[in-house]
Amino acid sequence: MPRADVVVIGAGLAGLTAAIALADAGARVELVARGHAATHWTPGGFDCAAPPSAPTSTVGIERLAAREGHPYGILAGDVQPGLAFVRSIVGEAGLMYRGELEDLLRPVPTAIGGTRRVGIVPAGQGSALDRWSADERLIVCGITGFKDFWPSLIAASLARPSVWSSASAGAGDGLAADADPDDDRPARVEAVSVGLPGQAGRRSINAMELGQAFDDAAWRREAFGRIARAVEASGHGPGRIAMPAVLGIADHAAAMADAAEILPLAMFEVPLVPPSLPGLRLYAALRGAFLRRGGRLSIGEPVIRMETDGRRVTVVVLSAAVRERRIGAGAVVLATGGIAGGGLIGLADGRLQEPVLNLPVEAPGVEDWLAEQAMCDDGHPLERAGVRTDAQLRPIDAAGDVVYDNVAVVGSLLAGQRAVAERCGDGVAIASGWRAAATLGSSSGAALRGSLQPTVAGSRI
Amino acid sequence: MSPAQSFDILIIGGGATGAGLVRDFARRGLRSLLVDKGDLGSGTSGRHHGLLHSGGRYVVKDALAARECIDENRIIRRIAPASVEDTGGYFVATPDDPDEYVDAFAAACHASGVPCEEVPVAELLRREPALNPAIRRAFRVPDGGLEPWGLIEATVADARARGAQIWPYQRAVAMELTAGGRIVSVDLADERSGSVTTVAPRFVVSAAGAWAGSVAALAGIKLSMAPGKGTMLIFNQRMTDAVINRCHRPADGDIMVPVHEVAILGTTEITVDDPDVYGIGRDEVAQLMVEGLKLFPDLARMRLLRAYAGVRPLYKDDQPAAAVKDGREISRAHLIIDHETRDGVGNLVSIVGGKITTHRLMAEQTVDAVCAKLGVAEPCTTAEEVLPGQGDAASYWLGHRLAEHEEDGGGDADLICECEMLTRASLDRFLDARWPCSLDDVRRGTRLGMGPCQGGFCTFRAVGIVAERSATGTLPAQPEGLSPEAVDQILLDFLDERFRGTRPIAWGRQLQELWITAGLYGGVLGLESLSAGSRPPTAEIAPAIAAERETVHAQG
Amino acid sequence: MTIQDLVREATYLDVAMSADSCLKCNVCNTVCPVSRVTDLFPGPKYVGPQAQRFRLGTTLPPQSDVAPHDASPDRWVDYCSGCGMCTLACPADVKIAEINNRARAEMKAGHRPKLRDWLFGQTDLVGRLGVIFTPISNWSLQNGLIRWVLQVVMGIHRKAPLPAFARRTLRSRLGRVDSVTLARRGMDAAGRAKEPPPDRAVVLFHGCAANYYEPHVALAAIEVLRRNGYETIVPEQVCCGLPLMNNGMYVQARSRAHSNIDVLADYARRGYRIVGTSTSCTHTFKAEYREMLDIDDEDARLVAEATWDICEFLVDLHDDGRLDTRFGRLDETLPYHPPCQLKGHGIGIPAMDLFALVPGLQAIDMDHDCCGVAGTYGLKKEKYDIAMAVGDPLFKRIRETDSAQAACDSETCRWQIQTATGRPTRHPVEILASAYAAFSDAPAASATVGAPEREPVTPGR
Repeated sequence: MPRADVVVIGAGLAGLTAAIALADAGARVELVARGHAATHWTPGGFDCAAPPSAPTSTVGIERLAAREGHPYGILAGDVQPGLAFVRSIVGEAGLMYRGELEDLLRPVPTAIGGTRRVGIVPAGQGSALDRWSADERLIVCGITGFKDFWPSLIAASLARPSVWSSASAGAGDGLAADADPDDDRPARVEAVSVGLPGQAGRRSINAMELGQAFDDAAWRREAFGRIARAVEASGHGPGRIAMPAVLGIADHAAAMADAAEILPLAMFEVPLVPPSLPGLRLYAALRGAFLRRGGRLSIGEPVIRMETDGRRVTVVVLSAAVRERRIGAGAVVLATGGIAGGGLIGLADGRLQEPVLNLPVEAPGVEDWLAEQAMCDDGHPLERAGVRTDAQLRPIDAAGDVVYDNVAVVGSLLAGQRAVAERCGDGVAIASGWRAAATLGSSSGAALRGSLQPTVAGSRI
Repeated sequence: MSPAQSFDILIIGGGATGAGLVRDFARRGLRSLLVDKGDLGSGTSGRHHGLLHSGGRYVVKDALAARECIDENRIIRRIAPASVEDTGGYFVATPDDPDEYVDAFAAACHASGVPCEEVPVAELLRREPALNPAIRRAFRVPDGGLEPWGLIEATVADARARGAQIWPYQRAVAMELTAGGRIVSVDLADERSGSVTTVAPRFVVSAAGAWAGSVAALAGIKLSMAPGKGTMLIFNQRMTDAVINRCHRPADGDIMVPVHEVAILGTTEITVDDPDVYGIGRDEVAQLMVEGLKLFPDLARMRLLRAYAGVRPLYKDDQPAAAVKDGREISRAHLIIDHETRDGVGNLVSIVGGKITTHRLMAEQTVDAVCAKLGVAEPCTTAEEVLPGQGDAASYWLGHRLAEHEEDGGGDADLICECEMLTRASLDRFLDARWPCSLDDVRRGTRLGMGPCQGGFCTFRAVGIVAERSATGTLPAQPEGLSPEAVDQILLDFLDERFRGTRPIAWGRQLQELWITAGLYGGVLGLESLSAGSRPPTAEIAPAIAAERETVHAQG
Repeated sequence: MTIQDLVREATYLDVAMSADSCLKCNVCNTVCPVSRVTDLFPGPKYVGPQAQRFRLGTTLPPQSDVAPHDASPDRWVDYCSGCGMCTLACPADVKIAEINNRARAEMKAGHRPKLRDWLFGQTDLVGRLGVIFTPISNWSLQNGLIRWVLQVVMGIHRKAPLPAFARRTLRSRLGRVDSVTLARRGMDAAGRAKEPPPDRAVVLFHGCAANYYEPHVALAAIEVLRRNGYETIVPEQVCCGLPLMNNGMYVQARSRAHSNIDVLADYARRGYRIVGTSTSCTHTFKAEYREMLDIDDEDARLVAEATWDICEFLVDLHDDGRLDTRFGRLDETLPYHPPCQLKGHGIGIPAMDLFALVPGLQAIDMDHDCCGVAGTYGLKKEKYDIAMAVGDPLFKRIRETDSAQAACDSETCRWQIQTATGRPTRHPVEILASAYAAFSDAPAASATVGAPEREPVTPGR
């Protein structure tokens, strides 16, 4: 039976962070996943903490850490090193990020003309972070025929001060805010729509198609030329351009460089509904880093169960076509996600189940799962459901006893967070992935690995 | 103040019956106005099970109702084929169904004129492999699928062509009566703008169904309705292409109907006080599932998409019977109430009860009664002529949206709602014809948001199109466009509406879908930053509300 | 959950109803190689779970003899290549490629198949005739004019990578191979008693490719098995039926399936493993008979559970410590392409694990999703350009690798790759056979020992 030092289950941000860090430390890591989800659905930035009225991510993390039961209570100190690690990893693939945890959280435009408060974004979204000067305009530039980005909707909405200031709360917290936050928005917001070369009459126009088109240097230079002309025709003066996040998949950096050269104004991408190209780029960078470190990756192989020996997981069992594929595991990182990712399943009888290891799940009673309305301030009580862990991220039961010694639970599977409302999902993922790797890989964690037996010296089996 | 417009007939209630009434009156030469407090078909008709009854359900207990069903079934297939899917239907005897009923079934069908043919169970199971293999007997009947909004649209189109007027979003708020008990004028309040219009009808027909009580109250009449809520469960895929009925005394959860791309299991019967206020409890859902599992053993593994309910217009007759008799027997299934004899109001009639399958007959009988009072001798012709807009007179084909799109070249470029294959062009046509309206109205007319993602991906696209047309001044009747706040409200209202049908069934894949949608709108799209995005915190709303007492708006 | 639970659930009905799970997340669209290169294919989400809801009879197996359906509403699903990347990437376990294949079959139901498609399904017939009429058959397929005519008349692209017929079928040569027992249908008990027992022999499903085009592949497998102490029983067999399925001829595919199951179930029951050198054929036995043809009886299940890909089998031996690892040194760089069908097996990449055991061999996984040919897809006039565009990055990568040859487990991929790159492309088992042969005191050998009798066809030369 093949063996791995660590089997990571789930290929989202948390799983990949843990897997890369472990592989970096010399562990034999097998990463298995049912499919792609998390990265492909999210805006591609590193949202660490933006609870209402916290001015910076750092303060946000502190506030959330002080909340009873929040994962940051354990992980607050891992965000910084985890983030630095991940940034250096994706930097290998040329994927750069802007912003630091200490920066003021800034409202950036969204694809329906709202704003969201962010601190660390991919470089392609970076110029949305700069403060707006008094005479700057924002040109929302859509692509004719592309149905996931409506410039009229976005521009009309962003012309309202309330949309910007609702997000910029927290300046009164004593941290430096050198100007009235209400002025920190564009003076004018305009909408333009540009027809890009060869797109008229196409039967498929979506983020993937456009992203691939922007990977073609000749095409994109012509496209940017058209956009530049449309922007110039709309007026003069300082400003920025907001475009849908379709600017290249494999060649995004080159596409942004061309944009900087050809467009008359700074431009930033606005993330869209899935498939998220910023998320794809992040995934590609992480995947490459993992494989380069000798990691083994299997996408499309669900874990059907695990074999255990007392409080240790010993074998991870995957479903192959007609038989089980068994991998001996020294340790397991469970990064299967929350309800959205399929790592937690709501059952008809009102239970919330963790399907891989059947871990105890902290969840409200079914009567209290959902609020009355789709969106309200306190959210749905079910959002905080998840698996509770000790400080080493080992799953624990209601009595606080460790269920498995050699399992680390990471990412949105962790209980106590409202990932969307608190904007902490990426931070928790990175911090927990980093912490899991440190715990499982450190010498003090040697006991967790159990006895390892390579089947053949030097082989990758 | 402008003089009241006068009409021969004012019909209050724009469901299937109201539509049938305005068509029949118009065809008999009477100047008619149809009003509804909302969009046409936004009441009970828009929340029915989707079934065109063969009558098989009634053959054993109510032969007359059964006969009415089969007669009208044939008529509707002829006059509105585009609204009918020829699914066929089966009555199946599970091991739980008593022999006496099953044994009597075929003969009872024949006695009522309902075509019925027993088929070998093995043959049925080969056609519909998801059915319970323990079924003992099976009978084929001409059940079908009936799409209410297209039916109503086509029916009122015929009426309009003959000079009738149709005014949705007009709520009747006051009636003026003479001392002698005749209605001389009715005030209609526009639900969208608030303005009031007064009309002067010679005769008023209330087809308000479950709301008949509140309409009668405007004339000072006490009419007690007993709205019967029926809950239905929508499954994401058709596990059957034929209607499947339990062969037993009619009870809850004993019919599965394939409706467009989904399959709907129903129903229940619970009396509610107010047809606008009711909830759906998890226990109702659980009970329906228990019954459904008897027909489809794998039902618990199939994706439950949504729960919705309609309220039946059941009448609680607390006064001596005053039913109109025209010489024929009238089925107990529906009732025409002559308020002249019952309440001394000479020009008001209410039609209550009934089902959408027999709407045309209900209208015919009501119009006959009113015309008799008015001395109008024109006969009814509504059974004869095919409704407008039926295309090539072929019945509905499930694959038609896909096939047409594929013929056009396929692809996703112009699909606004991908789940339901709704194109930009179709959406624009609807907005051209019906704006101003809500996205829920758009949903009824185009199926926007009725697929697995329940509006997750298409809501903001539809809103984007509205905003684009607002900015270019191409929204009908609103060339000045909409404020961003109004646009926000359109978005939020639709998301809320979709949520309400998800909440009672929020587990499994649909819970996961809900979480993804919440992640999109809350996370990527920053919904909470929009002006109307701040809601009262839940502390202001009663916290844990017992399942069977949830109070939510009517949803579907 | 056990694999038996999953397999029991994966009947045709469950595959069709798996469209229920679609979350509309578009992840499948991010991994589809065909929609990446052409507008003619609207993407797996569209033709799979989305269109499924508009099809009548989704609970019925494709082309079932029950209730002839209305006209199919589909058209563009024909451009799905069936590579299966979508199914692997889906986070919700939607069997997208399988749903597409079914829809394509329904599209063709009730119509006579095109002559070309019919011919592609008659692999035994074409193979036999082609072998009988060598060398004329091969000369014809190399003749530019004849290929033009085939393209115009039948729609087989003139540059399609058609393989060369062997001079003699595999079966005709097996009588002279010591470790092989040729088994006849209807053998009596005495005959069966002469067969070596299951702990010393495996049953070989050679498939049409090895029988008519590449006997050397099967012979290499037989040699490798012999080296590891296994004799080979070769029973009567017909085409697995996959080309019939892929060209919409499900009725004939069912007939082939029953024929094979009749013969093989008996061996499976007696405990023999059934080993194949074609990842397509073995996947067909493991999964497609059940998931696509709705053949789910006990015999079919026995055959499925007894089926092994040859590399999978050898790695399994190795896990038990029973693989003969006395490989000679092969000093070479070997670009390797894991075929789509292999990924569908869910067994990891066993060939790479085996290559790692050969001293000096630098096998490099080309890490590309699909070579484009997808069975008979890329041979068709209207799909050839799409197939070549899909495979182009792979071909480039191979050409840029300094190597004498390449390797791939699937026969149609091998023909595609060697036609596109000019590099002879081997089954991994041929490399292993060379390595065994090189195990001696002789200096380092190259892997061209055991080269095929005839170079593959390069059309248009």
